[in-house]
Amino acid sequence: MRKQLLIAPTILFVFILLTLFYLLIIERNPSEVPSNLLNKKVPKFETESLLKNERFVSSQEFGNEIILVNFFATWCKPCRDEHIYIKRFSSEKKIRVIGINYKDNSSNAIDWLKNLGNPYSNVPIDKSGRIAIDWGVYGIPETFLINSKGIIKYRHVGQITKKTYKKINLLIKEIE
Amino acid sequence: MINKTFIIIISICLIQLFSDNSFTVEPEEVLENQKQELRARNISKNIRCMICQNQSIDESNAPLAKDLRILIRNKIKEGKKDKEIYNFLTDRYGDFILLKPPLKSSTLALWLLPFIFLIIGFFIVFHLNKKSEKI
Repeated sequence: MRKQLLIAPTILFVFILLTLFYLLIIERNPSEVPSNLLNKKVPKFETESLLKNERFVSSQEFGNEIILVNFFATWCKPCRDEHIYIKRFSSEKKIRVIGINYKDNSSNAIDWLKNLGNPYSNVPIDKSGRIAIDWGVYGIPETFLINSKGIIKYRHVGQITKKTYKKINLLIKEIE
Repeated sequence: MINKTFIIIISICLIQLFSDNSFTVEPEEVLENQKQELRARNISKNIRCMICQNQSIDESNAPLAKDLRILIRNKIKEGKKDKEIYNFLTDRYGDFILLKPPLKSSTLALWLLPFIFLIIGFFIVFHLNKKSEKI
């Protein structure tokens, strides 16, 4: 019995090793922090719009249909790389996409959208980064999936790749 | 010669020990009211920089850390209490933004397991010691 008891630390050690090994081989981003806003209402905000003369009022935009919110900036290289997928969401999947222009130069942003194509139905401006803080954003690009009741269902930190594009599409089907 | 080098090395080590880490708060951020500034610095030291993750926003040069430092100072100027400021930040970024995880039912294992392992360790050492005494 006593001898058996002494095996316990070895078993525990092997268990810890296996757990660490498992975490090492699965595909995950250890720096990605889960959003605290999941299953909560979208934060309320009001700001200028990049392409429209009227102000952007969040309470008027969310809560009617599924919306994808994408924080982007022209100075952010991954934003440019993921733009092709953002465009596919709006053109192929007919999802409404709102692009929040984060700490950017407005004329650069207008040119950027002219050159690369504009998938956004509206582009609210977050000049100071204060709106992003309310959304718990810490590294753009970040993309949020909002259901038709205005509840945040998913957040992706970083560039949208083919894999995340597929994942978000599956989630859209699930919440439809 | 060796003694001189030794003294220099020891001095450098001691400077590291007693220095108040890095100081990244920029002059324009500092509040005029010293008491308020001290409060802001104390809060900032407990808030994790979400980009660098192992630094507090008080030490970090990241733009988001600066934004949060300014936001904390503005909240203090508005007359918000420390707890309200911490709640504001955890509501948006979760408990992860606190450098010290709070004691909650979900973090109970994190806080208690080291003590449990320590007790198990003592028990094993005590047990083996007793056994070797018999021999």
